Amino acid sequence: MMAEPILSIAGVSKRFGGVVAVNEASFDVAPGSITGLIGPNGAGKTTMFNLISGFLRPERGVIHFDGWRCDGRPPHALASVGLVRTFQIPRVLTRMTVLENMMLAGMDQPGEQLGAALYQPRHLARREREIRDQARELLEVIRLSRLANDYAGTLSGGQRKLLEFGRILMTEPRMILLDEPMAGVAPALALQLLDHIIALRAIRGTTILVIEHDMEAVMAISDRIIVMDEGSVIAEGLPEEIQRNERVIEAYLGTHAQAPVPAATAEP
Amino acid sequence: MEIFNLPFWIFVAVIAGIYTIFALGLYLQYALAGLPNFGHVAFAALAAYTMAILIIHLNVPMPVAAIAGLLVAVLFSLVLGIPSLRLRADYLAIATVAGGEIVRYLALNMQGLTGGPIGSIGMLGPSQLAQYNQSWDALLRPIVAALERNPVLAPAASRDFAMLLIVWVTALILLVVFWLMVRSPWGRMMRAIREDEDAAAAVGKNVFRAKLQVLILGALLGGLAGLFLAWQIGIITPDDYQPTFTFYAYLILILGGTTRIWAIPVGALLFGLLYSGTRFLNFYPLSLFDSGDRAYLRLILVGLLLILLMAIRPQGLLGNRRELLLR
Amino acid sequence: MPSHGQHGAFTLLADDLREVQVRIAALPSSSRLTSKWTVAGALAALTIAFVLILALFTPQADAARLAQLLVNGVITGSILALAAVGATLIFGIQRIANFAHGDFLTIGAYAAFFVNVVLGQNLLVAALGATGAVALFGVAAHFGLFRPLRGRGTVAIALVSVGLGLLIRNVIFIMAGSQIRQFNVNQSEVITVGVLRLSPGQAVAVAVALVVAPLVALFLARTRLGKQMRAVADNRDLASVSGIDVERIGVSVWILAGGLAGLAGVMLGLSQGVFDPNMGLGPLFLIFTAVVLGGIGSAYGALVAGLALGLAMELSTWDALFGGLDSKYKPVLAFVVLILLLLYRPQGLFGQVRVL
Repeated sequence: MMAEPILSIAGVSKRFGGVVAVNEASFDVAPGSITGLIGPNGAGKTTMFNLISGFLRPERGVIHFDGWRCDGRPPHALASVGLVRTFQIPRVLTRMTVLENMMLAGMDQPGEQLGAALYQPRHLARREREIRDQARELLEVIRLSRLANDYAGTLSGGQRKLLEFGRILMTEPRMILLDEPMAGVAPALALQLLDHIIALRAIRGTTILVIEHDMEAVMAISDRIIVMDEGSVIAEGLPEEIQRNERVIEAYLGTHAQAPVPAATAEP
Repeated sequence: MEIFNLPFWIFVAVIAGIYTIFALGLYLQYALAGLPNFGHVAFAALAAYTMAILIIHLNVPMPVAAIAGLLVAVLFSLVLGIPSLRLRADYLAIATVAGGEIVRYLALNMQGLTGGPIGSIGMLGPSQLAQYNQSWDALLRPIVAALERNPVLAPAASRDFAMLLIVWVTALILLVVFWLMVRSPWGRMMRAIREDEDAAAAVGKNVFRAKLQVLILGALLGGLAGLFLAWQIGIITPDDYQPTFTFYAYLILILGGTTRIWAIPVGALLFGLLYSGTRFLNFYPLSLFDSGDRAYLRLILVGLLLILLMAIRPQGLLGNRRELLLR
Repeated sequence: MPSHGQHGAFTLLADDLREVQVRIAALPSSSRLTSKWTVAGALAALTIAFVLILALFTPQADAARLAQLLVNGVITGSILALAAVGATLIFGIQRIANFAHGDFLTIGAYAAFFVNVVLGQNLLVAALGATGAVALFGVAAHFGLFRPLRGRGTVAIALVSVGLGLLIRNVIFIMAGSQIRQFNVNQSEVITVGVLRLSPGQAVAVAVALVVAPLVALFLARTRLGKQMRAVADNRDLASVSGIDVERIGVSVWILAGGLAGLAGVMLGLSQGVFDPNMGLGPLFLIFTAVVLGGIGSAYGALVAGLALGLAMELSTWDALFGGLDSKYKPVLAFVVLILLLLYRPQGLFGQVRVL
């Protein structure tokens, strides 16, 4: 159906005690695509993200990233091959400055080896400079430059989202999992984020899988939509198809959440 | 004893230096990586006892015994630490304090091996006075002799002064080394892990390996401090390794400030001053207490300081409030 | 923009649940969900094996020794149980790892000593005095120290409790001196109950244990206050949302924990025969072991675990068990239990899976 998928989920299940959070879920994500993952609350979307990004291990099923089996691998291993994620509530390091937050995410840091400061000072200093330059550039892109030396703890919620996004960019990822990037963010900032997401795919060909409740936004930018409900994948397809899909509408109406119908019901 | 008694203050300085190394080990584990090790004293105890046991029971040469001591401390840190690394902070605190206590308890009760309550001098049984310090003393003698020949330093020349030089040179080298490392990306990675491991893992940091690194480093430094203390005093007993020892190190970290590595020697010297200086405060109402009670007063002071610093100035005297670990 | 408010609250709960779930699942698989039924089953199997050995290999003389060990176990166990109930509730309700808890026992013993030896009252009055004194101290510690410092972080509070412990111990050293003390009981008398030979102190301790432990269990199970305490220890937010005055419970729990610790201190002093201001240090990590074994925040768990631990420690010295553990090493057994727990079942027997 699609050329070699960059992410492939097959028969993945996860339960917590008595609760089945993810139930035999399977789907593929095409490289360079923007895919929306939607579904009512409690559908298992964030759990799915946790499974993909290595924070959870599936009980059944396999996950492949770019042909490499990755289920059960620790998060840092996935991040180092280019699969990174954001968190629903942005997890910035509040006790470090914005610039330090960015530099933390730099790839290939020889300085993180034990003792590197002692026996490789020049090599280390050079790489630090490179990373610092890259960080400053990206801060420009996400327009947080003037806050570079402020502690991340002083940032507003929306700014933290941007910072987390910028941190992701530092890792030069091949695929990004975005967990509700627009939740609780002012409209102007949300638009900015959307622009960044689209630009990322356009310029670098980064694959994006995004969980969102903002139906307008996710329908507008996604090439494909995957719908989950109560742990299972109940539909996948083009945005237009999903909006007409009866099962999907039922799933949403059943929980009194906003159904993914087109612009007619958009609220201010 | 009058206050300007040089040999006394040299002794205090030696102990402060040893505490600097000890607290540095704790700094790496707790202040840098966020692992609240309440049983740090175990590393000192294991290194010292291993060295003494090997020298006294098996006639192992001192350098080998010392290294073996450090290795045993590291081994213990791994055995206890690895399973505990993923635990919540208070569980880790409990597990580590239990670990420290069990080491002390074994030292107290395995009489044949450790000499029991009377410590190292009893290791060869009641009829002999076991010693482990001869080689170290032999090492110090040429240094003392060199000091005596030096016209400037001659008045202070003593075994304790030689110890002071060795301990503080070591401490300063270690402080520089770790200062460089803390400022480097390695230190940044640790600070990130301390605050939010998942965020650090999400950007590619191997959290487990990093924690293992500080655990081992902490064990090495704690063990080294234990060795120095053993060499300084010449005798070791289980009483030297009470949990209070670990909490002195916490107090030192908090006194100086948990956010700066150079605050450690300041904290250690302050602590030494406070602790030993109380014996000179002979005015009313302190003069009402006899010398035995003064010891308890000192511990009361330690307890009060722990509480007050936590309450009023948790970042310590030199710390940076925004990077505060202990809120 | 669709409003997020409409599912705001639900999202919060869902996030919490997910948060908890992520944390559980992030435990390596070897430790996850060693089901409590497996543990209970293992314990039951061990007990059955034990009883079998008893039945098959115990000649008459050894029955007396066994009975003696059982009584010792009940005494040690109830001391641990009573102290652990308080400690676990403080842990669960106030989120405080109280490293001064052992020293609360010391206050109890010395308060009782004061009433019993200095004021010449009988042991019952002394015990009541001790209970009241430490309960009061607990409340004072709450209002004077822990409540003002709330929100400082678990390690900071733990360090504060360490400081408190140092204060208690050394003030007692100064005020009461370092010499060992005894209660006003005839130490050389021996009370014979069937095959058991007990010192008067032990006899009193057993009597207290047999009365108080069930009372505490009943209090927790049947009284409104007890039930509320358990609810708050279990889930503070849920309890507060369902109308329980969490602040008032917070004070009550210090009264209960203090009182029980005081009583446990008296029992400890009685069963040991002699005591000094350092008496609380040894029990401290045994108490913590019982707390972890029972599950942090679970009062029943602490009761059961304390008793179980005490019995296990005493019975481990029984000759029939492969020569028995040298009684010097009883705490080592507790330590091994603690380590195994932390490895395989950190939530203990009845605790919530909230370990990380």
